[in-house]
Amino acid sequence: MKKALALILAVLMLLSVASFALAEDAQTLTIVAWDAETTPYLAAQKEAFEASHPGVTIEYIDVASQDYPVKSSTMLSGGDASDVYMVKELPHLLDWQAAGFAEPLNSYIEASGYDKSGFLGMEANYAVDGEQYALPFRSDFWVLFYNKDLFDAAGVEYPTNDMTWEQYAELAKKMTSDGVYGTHYHTWLSAVVNWDVCDGVNTLIDGDYSDLAYFYQLYQDLEDAGACMPYDEVKAAGLHYSAAFENGNVAMLPMGYWFVSTMIGAIKDGTCSFNWGIVSVPHKEDVAAGSSFGNLTGAMINAKSEHKDLAWEYISWLAGEQGALATASTGTRPAWVSEGVANAMASAEGFPTDDASKAALVPTYVGIEIPASEHSSEISTILNEEHTLIMTRENTIEEGIEAMNERVAEILG
Amino acid sequence: MAQTKDRKPLYKRHMTRYERKKELIAYSFLAPNFIGFAVFTLLPVLFSIFLSFVKWKGGDFSTMQWVGLGNYAEIFKTAKVAEKGIGYLFTKVDLGIALKNTLFYTLVTVPMTLVCSVALALALNKAVKGAVGFRTIFFFPYVASMVAICVCWRFMMMKDGPINQFIMALGINFNKSWTADSGMAIWSIILVSVWRNMGYYMVIYLAALQGVPTDLYEAATMDGANKWQQFAHVTLPQLRPTTFFASTMLIISCFKIYDVVAIMTEGGPGRSTKMLVTYIYDEAFANFNYGIASAIAMVLLVIVLIFTLIQFSMEDRYAND
Repeated sequence: MKKALALILAVLMLLSVASFALAEDAQTLTIVAWDAETTPYLAAQKEAFEASHPGVTIEYIDVASQDYPVKSSTMLSGGDASDVYMVKELPHLLDWQAAGFAEPLNSYIEASGYDKSGFLGMEANYAVDGEQYALPFRSDFWVLFYNKDLFDAAGVEYPTNDMTWEQYAELAKKMTSDGVYGTHYHTWLSAVVNWDVCDGVNTLIDGDYSDLAYFYQLYQDLEDAGACMPYDEVKAAGLHYSAAFENGNVAMLPMGYWFVSTMIGAIKDGTCSFNWGIVSVPHKEDVAAGSSFGNLTGAMINAKSEHKDLAWEYISWLAGEQGALATASTGTRPAWVSEGVANAMASAEGFPTDDASKAALVPTYVGIEIPASEHSSEISTILNEEHTLIMTRENTIEEGIEAMNERVAEILG
Repeated sequence: MAQTKDRKPLYKRHMTRYERKKELIAYSFLAPNFIGFAVFTLLPVLFSIFLSFVKWKGGDFSTMQWVGLGNYAEIFKTAKVAEKGIGYLFTKVDLGIALKNTLFYTLVTVPMTLVCSVALALALNKAVKGAVGFRTIFFFPYVASMVAICVCWRFMMMKDGPINQFIMALGINFNKSWTADSGMAIWSIILVSVWRNMGYYMVIYLAALQGVPTDLYEAATMDGANKWQQFAHVTLPQLRPTTFFASTMLIISCFKIYDVVAIMTEGGPGRSTKMLVTYIYDEAFANFNYGIASAIAMVLLVIVLIFTLIQFSMEDRYAND
């Protein structure tokens, strides 16, 4: 009897040791992301990473997109130990880096001989004083969406990849008819005047905003001609750009590349049912066609993570070719540029099949929407405040730009 | 007075075990509440006072930098204001603008809410048909979701919305969304706030009206007072304690206005509806300047404290006679 008991105990001990060893094998990586439930590329990345890394489970901590900047920073300030944080906007990474939340990556990059060539230099935006703090896995530059059915019905040629802003404005006016708007502008500053940074010279933090006047003027002319919904109405109604375009009465929409996956989804689930395509955003006479601006989305390792090596394995995979293919499979634009990725993007189910849309996948230049600097977020607040005054025509364009220059100068000192 | 002073040490010395036990029991009953207050109110307030003297972007405490009154100099832009005069503070500096907007909002909203809720209470105090139904209707905004209310109002105040159509019908030419006009945006917030709060204060005034002794009215009638005189000399004085309570609560809540602004105008257009709390929020959670945000919070604290002290000093004179 005693022997039997001893045997049972021994077996139990062995079992518990074995299960402990098994548990160590099965690792969980926690990743803080926004809208994880509804974002297809996050699901695709999880699936592909788990398939190529048996025993690793990815767990997303889901934060609503509009709350992400505040909530993620609050979590980090509170000492949260989740392994990886997605970087939604550039200035946040700078704040996080300054606060010591972001793990420096140079040592990992050197140790693994990581190839950064596919980023075309965009990763430099995530570096501070030569030290890399995050890797980009998405690059949503802006393109021009258009409703093919409306153009067909009006008998007007589709937009092209090398339109100037003047040609675009003319086209928008031409497409405007009873109940149809030639184009649509969302309320953001970026949707109206950020084009200014496409020349690779101007930035939104340089303190001189006189060159925004061209785009404000362009917008006001279109608004006056009735070629776009008035700002006042879009703002007061809280109209989302996807609803505006999916309604089917807007011929063109300048918007970030992320809207491609929204459109693919909207067609798939029957929210709307027209043919659509994309082309490069228009350009100024003296700027190369195919120039755009955009944001980077990246991932950083939390300095408080307890699985830093695995976290590095994950973000290096995510930003590289394999992760990019997973990301591209859902119609989302990865930061990594390669032949394979471009093909994957064009062959994503639901992506427009015309040649112009495919060609628009390869921009000639991508400026950064608002570069990270010590003052990025303060400047952005000021620009947005003055933007609303110009858009509601409380201020003339000149007055508004003068106020921008004056107020930003105070910050830059 | 002198007697009690003399007696105190005597009493303490002679505190029996039983009395001490009783004291302990009393403290133990107070403890849960006090601990909650200490952890969730007192400590954050003290921490915030401390934060207003440091530069900190969150994260490790080691990254804090003591700047003394630097944050205050920064928000008041003291150097610039000294150079360009006090007018600069209220026209160009974020804090001055937020202060001006918040004061204006409070000074208009509080009396408007009080007048509306007294008027409603008087109207519904009578045994009119459907009084209970109307009371419910007027109280309803107070329990309804703030977001839903604000979105509805934003629609009603749109360029071609029902409110503008009504105004146009009156022959006034105004065809802009209220929330998109620097002059009207703050009025849209005032209107929603008054409309939302008047139901709540109406209920409080209704209760107070029930408490006014009917013999006072009888006596006033005997003296030949008309309805208006009855209202001015009987009802209003009897409502003073309630008005004192209501105005104190309203002033404090008005200074803390945030939700309506965040949903209706986001502080815009420009800075026309930037309030102290929206400014604090922007600095703390958009720019991550916790020190600056705390310094603004201290300014708000001092202002609310001054208003409350003034009111309490008037309490003896007005509230309890």
